[in-house]
Order: sequence, then C-alpha cells, then structure tokens
Amino acid sequence: MKKFKFSNTTRVNDLRKMIGEPFLLLAILVVLYLLIVFVIFPIFQVFKTSLSYEGALSLQNYFDVLSRSYYITPLINSMVLGVIVGTIGTIVGFMFAYAITRTPMKGKGVFRMIATFPMVSPPFVVALACILLFGRSGFFAGAIGNIYGLTGLVIVEVIAYSPTAFLALVGVLHAIDPALEEAAMDCGASRLKIFRTIIFPLATPGLVSAWLLVFIQSLADFGNPMILSGDFAVLSVQAYLQITGMFDLARGSTLAILLLIPTVVAFYLQKYLLSKKSYVTVTGKPTSATIKNLEWYIKAPVYAVCMFFAAVVLLFYGMVVWGSFQKLWGVDSTLTLRNYVQMWKMGKGYIVDSLVISVIVTPITGVLSMFIAYLTTRKQFPGRNFIEFSSMLTFAVPGTVVGIGYILAFNTPSILMPFTLTGTGFIIMILLVFRNLPVGIRNGVAAIQQIDPSIEEASIDLGADSSLTFRKITLPMITPAFFSGLANCFVRSMTAISAIIFVVSGKWNLITVAVLGFVDNSQYAQAAAMSLLLIAIVLIALGLIKLFTDRMGRGMNSSSILE
Amino acid sequence: MKQNYLELKKLAKSFGKGDETFFAVDHIDLGVKEGDLVTLLGPSGCGKTTTLRMIAGFHTPTSGDVLIDGYSVNNIPPNKRPTAMVFQNYALFPHMTVFENIAYGLRIRKESPEDVRKKVSDIMNLIGLENLEDRQPRQLSGGQQQRVSLARAMVMEPKVLLFDEPLSNLDAKLRVSTRLEIRKLQQRVGITSVYVTHDQEEAMTLSDQVVVMNKGMIEQIGSPSEVYSHPANRFVAGFIGKANFLESVVVKVTDEQIIVSHQGKHIAAPRWDKQLKVNDKVVVVARPESIIPELPSEDLVEGIVADSVYFGSQMLYEVELPDGKVLQIEVADPQYHVQFERGHRVGLSFKDRSLHLLPSEEKKDAL
Repeated sequence: MKKFKFSNTTRVNDLRKMIGEPFLLLAILVVLYLLIVFVIFPIFQVFKTSLSYEGALSLQNYFDVLSRSYYITPLINSMVLGVIVGTIGTIVGFMFAYAITRTPMKGKGVFRMIATFPMVSPPFVVALACILLFGRSGFFAGAIGNIYGLTGLVIVEVIAYSPTAFLALVGVLHAIDPALEEAAMDCGASRLKIFRTIIFPLATPGLVSAWLLVFIQSLADFGNPMILSGDFAVLSVQAYLQITGMFDLARGSTLAILLLIPTVVAFYLQKYLLSKKSYVTVTGKPTSATIKNLEWYIKAPVYAVCMFFAAVVLLFYGMVVWGSFQKLWGVDSTLTLRNYVQMWKMGKGYIVDSLVISVIVTPITGVLSMFIAYLTTRKQFPGRNFIEFSSMLTFAVPGTVVGIGYILAFNTPSILMPFTLTGTGFIIMILLVFRNLPVGIRNGVAAIQQIDPSIEEASIDLGADSSLTFRKITLPMITPAFFSGLANCFVRSMTAISAIIFVVSGKWNLITVAVLGFVDNSQYAQAAAMSLLLIAIVLIALGLIKLFTDRMGRGMNSSSILE
Repeated sequence: MKQNYLELKKLAKSFGKGDETFFAVDHIDLGVKEGDLVTLLGPSGCGKTTTLRMIAGFHTPTSGDVLIDGYSVNNIPPNKRPTAMVFQNYALFPHMTVFENIAYGLRIRKESPEDVRKKVSDIMNLIGLENLEDRQPRQLSGGQQQRVSLARAMVMEPKVLLFDEPLSNLDAKLRVSTRLEIRKLQQRVGITSVYVTHDQEEAMTLSDQVVVMNKGMIEQIGSPSEVYSHPANRFVAGFIGKANFLESVVVKVTDEQIIVSHQGKHIAAPRWDKQLKVNDKVVVVARPESIIPELPSEDLVEGIVADSVYFGSQMLYEVELPDGKVLQIEVADPQYHVQFERGHRVGLSFKDRSLHLLPSEEKKDAL
C-alpha cells in the first residue's frame, strides 16, 4: 500500500514538472508519436503479416518456411556466413587495433585511414571490386575459384566490416593501461605471457562485443550478397526477392522476422556486455606510452596482417578506379572517360535525388537525435524508457526488415498515418532519418554524459529555464558531436541500400540503387565510375563538415569518423 | 532579535519506495538569520548536500517547507528562486569567457548592457579577478576558477547564497586563504549564506552558526564555540575535534561544579547541565588539550604512556588507563611541562573549566 502510494506521487511530481514546461511536454509528445509511427509500427506490421495466414492469426507461415529446405538453407547460410565473417573480422580488427595502440609501427595514420575507409564507401563497392578482380573476366580470373558464393562473400564482408571491429577494439585496447603490462613484465612475464594473461582477458568483453557487431552487420548485409551470393542464398536477399519478385508479402515477412531475431538477440547481448563495464575502467587513466622494444615474434605476425589487409583494401579500391577508366572490362583495356560520360547521362537524376534527399535528411536527423539524446540522458518523464528503447531499435533491426515494414505500413493510409507515403520522396527521407537516428543519438549521449550536470544546474540556478539552458549551455557544448553526427548521417544516407531499395520509386531513386542496376546489367565500368563519384561526394562533404567543425570547435575535441 | 530570513520547516527528502524508503533528510527544522553564514557540517551521506539542493530547488522535498524572507518557495523552480549556488567543481561554462560566465544570469534577467558591464566589473574588482574578463575558464588556475564561480553567484545579488563544498578541489594552502576571503566578503556584503562542508575546521572558521548533521538529522545547532565546548552528544563531540570519553557517576553537585567519579577518582567539571543529580551516570568529554599528564599521585586518574610523539610546539601522548581505554592528550609548549616517555606511569589532571558532561547514552537507550 505504502509502496504504491509513493511511486504514484513521484510520477505525479514528474508530470507536474512537465506541465510546468509546456514546450518540453509538447516536444516529448511529438517525439513519441514519430517513434511509434515510424519505428514501432512498421516492425509491428512485419510481425503481423508473418503471423497471418489466410486472414487468421497463425504460425502457419513459419511452419511452411521452416519445413522447406528452400527457405531453411538461407537461414543456415546467413548464420554460417555471419559466424565466419564475425570471427575473421574480429581477428583482423584486433590485429589492427593492437598495432595502432600497442606497437611502434610506422605510418599509423595511413593504416588507420586505410582500415576505416570501407566504412565511408557504399557497402557493395567491395563486392564490385571483387568481381573486377576475381570475376569471370577479372584481373585474376579464377585465382580463388568461383567467387559467387561463400568464399567471395567472406572476403568481401571481412573487408567491409572488420573496420567496425577495429574501431570498437581500439577503444578497448586504448583503455588498458600500458602500466599493467610493465607491471607484469616486472613480475617476470614474457610478452607472450602478458598477452595471454593480461591483455587478452581484459579485452575479452570487448572482443565478444566486436564479434557480435560484425556478426550483426554480416547478417544484415544486403548489397554484397545481392551482387555476389550466386547460389549461396542468404536471408536478406531471399526476403527481398520474395517480396519484389514473387509479391509474397507473408513469406517475405516471415523470412524478415527470422533475420530479425538473431540480430536483435546479438544486439542486446552486445549492449549487455558493454553495460557490464569490464575491468578496463577500473585501471584508471590510461597513459599514452607505447611499448618501444617489442619482440619480433609479436611484431611480425601483427605487421604482416596489417600490411596484407591494407594492401588488399588498396588493391580492391584501386581496381574500382582502374576499372572505371577501361573501355570494356576484360576485353579492351584502352583508357577512356566514356564510362563517366555514360554514367552521367544515365545517372544524373539518381545523383541529384540522392543529394537532395541526403541534404534534407541530414540536418533533421542531427537535430532530432541530439534532442532525443538530451531527453533521455537529462530529463525524467513517463515514457523515457520507451523513447530510449525505440529510438535505438532501428540500429538493431536489419535494413531489409525495416524496408519491408515501411512497405507494409505506408502503402495505405491508416489511423496513425493518414497519407499514403509509398512512392513519394517523403518515405525515403523518413526512412533515412529513423535509420540514422541511433548513430546520432549515441554520439549525443556520449557527449552529453561528459558534461557535468552541475554546469546545467548552474545555468538554471542563475535564472535560465530548461530550454534556454539547452540552447545556451548544452547545445554549444555538444556542437562537435552534433557535426560529427551530421557527417555520419550524410555518409549513411548517401550509401544506404538495404532498406532503401524497398521504398525507391520511379520518381525518386538513389545512386546506390543505380549502381546495383549497372552491376545487374554487367556494366561494371559504369558501376565503378558511379561508385567513385559517390565516394568523392561523400569525401568532399566530410571534408567540408570537418573544416567547419574545426573552425567553430574553439579547440574542443571534435571527433569525425575520418580521423 | 533578528527574524529568521531562511527557514526550513520539517523538511524531508526520501529516496526509494515502500520498505526500502530511506530518508536522506529526515524532517529537519532550521532558521537562518539575515546576513548570517550557516554551515551544514557532517560526514558524507548525512544529508547536508541534499538539504542545500532542496533550498536551491534542484531537489523537490518529499514533505516540509523552505521559506525565504517569510514566503514558501516550494513551488518556485530553481531558475526563479532568489538563490545562487557556488558549485563544488565550479561548473563554469567552458565555452564562454570569464566575463560571459559572470554576465550569464544578468543577461537572462535582461538587464541593460551597461548595467551588466558595470555589475560584472564591480564584482570582479571586489573578488580580485581584474583583467581576466576575456580568459577561457580552462586558462585559469583552480583558485581563479573558484572565484569566477563565486562572482557568478554573487553578481546575482541572491537573497540566499549557497555553497556546495566550494573549497574541496583546492590545495590545502589555498583552501585556508580562500575561506578567509569568503568569510570577509560575505560579511562585507552581508549576504545570507548556507555553506556545506565536511571539514570541521572550515566550518569553525567560517560560520556564525554550525549545524551538525548525521544520518539525515540535525544533531546540534550552535556557534562554533558552543558546538566545540558544549557538544550536545557523543557524535558531535567526536566529529568536531578530537574527544576522550570517560564513563563516570555524579557524586556531588554544587552551585558551580559537578564532581564525578571515574574509577574511584574525582574529576570536577563546570555545571552546565542543571538537571544532573547525584548518582546519575554521565560521560566526561575531555578534549586532548584539556588533560595534563603529571607525576602520579593519590587523587589523580592513573595511566601508562603507550606512545609519545614530539612535534616541537606540542607533544602528543597516548595514555592507557587501567581498564584498557586509551586517551589522546596534547600538551602545548612541551618544554614547559614534564616530559614522559613510553612506559612511564603518569597521573592525569583535568582542566576543570574545559570539561563537558553528557548524560550517559546507556540511560538514553533505556528510555
């Protein structure tokens, strides 16, 4: 009884505080509505469709799918691919992270840039390069057998996704104080022993979480398997084909849910691991000392892996550049600019659409994500947990699932959304905003958490209300995070493919879709030219944003994904 | 007698629910007179900061009232309250200059640019921040940052100025000089202040009134000398300065004095507590400087020196009594006194006027 009364009064207090700030209340309600309509509703629709069979609620679709090898194979294939890519990707990422944080390797900056480059390029460019290199008329045709299948996908996804593991693990290794290693060495441990008894155990939670991240990305990958999977069917592509090829929404949804479940489980497992706070944080402030005299048997394999990987990345992207100037790939290697001219003629509309949409989407996502980050870290109100959960949800949900959800949810008007969005530019923009929101929110939350709450209290104490405090104190302090969020969002908007491919239309189309179309027609040179143009646009935009941030950051730490 | 300018009435703040409800501040009453500086002193977790934050409005009281100048401010949000706070970590806005930091509140109040400039430069001169207007906070030393934080609060001319352990991030020397400055400034401006600290020396040197808190409740309110020489209970006696406690029984009460017996030896103490009667159990509170070790004699409490440390200006002894209890003793100007070494048998004489008697806590428990 007492218990009930108490919780009730605090909730009433929270509510009363909110009513005292009508602006805030209104903003929260708007955010809640948007998240329900554009995040929860589409996913709910996918579930609903997968669970309805001939108009009734039933698990029949699942029985159907799981009883036919035609559908089970993609499930198994996706898992196998995810596990292999996760494992190799994590190993490569770890080697790179170790080299950057723990060895006196030369040219760290260059290695870092090469290692993270696949993150700013469209996901399927690597697959395109793979075809140019090892495909039927490729440079090294047949060198590694048939690339259309597991082998090709593993190579391509490792290149595309080990950067994720690398970035996660740099943070983990950076937080392990080198003094620990020195202490262990003082106690007589050899470098190998230190690695086994100190570094490896301390980095384990980070390693597992990196593995899960890569696993998720591999499962959700659409662009690469679309190009390269061949007979090796994977879930994301099969779900797409079910819907666009066979117009079987129920089967497509069912496959999407089968894809969703392992991804979401892996995502929350990874979040849980991170929240458990490994011992790393206990060791105090890391010093920047690196180990100078490292034994050759540590250096040799680490350096070898780094150089090999860097060489492969350069080779792949170099091949795309080379390919874009060839008259006819594999037949006539005269250098020409004709591909660019053709690409421009056919793809001008796509490029303009992509740019317009990204330019509109980016600032909206930036502001909305900062606002949600602020709400969830600094405000107490009923529904806070829901906002936190649902705004991060799209991060865990594979693009294919989101795309199918958007088709199902917005093809016809409903109570939640009284307009038909399908076929308009809005649906693409909305999808991109909510797809990219989680990255921005994560940046924002990290930035806001670094601001001591007493700084905001000081402002309130001096007479500012919450919105003024947000504008004058919090906002300027999170500006660097805001701009790096913008950079991120722009890159992701320009390079998105998996969810977008479901909502593009004749009127509104995007570069990534065009590239995929070229590849489909075996117009590899044009595809390469267009990919390069896309990469160039992204790099120019990143450069501009970085220039801008540096100018106004007043020396505050700004972190861009290019660094 | 001056009116209470700031008043806390049955103020309480609880956290948790149901059976796990925990009162961080447990229905306290407190009055602060206009122009006074009151410190809330206590160990960490005693509720002093929570109390301060309820006065500022950052915490909503679970029950009770905060009154400023006779009016309840319970329903006034922190940004509208006539209070200003000096934060423990200064909470300076890192993206603004010193001038912008100090002017922040005035500008929010929409004061004219001339007023803002004048007030800011006045307060900067008063606090000794001349010529630092254009610096960024991170270009300042810790002491300077602290002053900016103080200036930013004082420029608002709040009715009540609040300090949340403002000196805890400064080094020891700076802490001493800054607290003297704060005291002088506060007296010159005559601003009513509440100051939270866990440092009893800080509390003693700064305050008009010290409020000793423990476990969410007020143990004693009094002037620095009152809480030191007449602690209300063992907690206060032990928390403020060092204290020795001797369980005794009252044997005689005169107009001026109370004579107690500790293990058969008589000790005389001033008669502050009028209610004590013969045979009451009491505790003698003896500060280390109130005990003088002498050569043993018939009517003195006897003990053996367990340790002695020479400091030049003073000598510290630990003397073990026959019942195993160890007393802390400080002798000023040791050259003037007989010096003892470890193992020596000594007789202890008590400076009768410095002693304080507390009713025995056993009695309290029995009630």
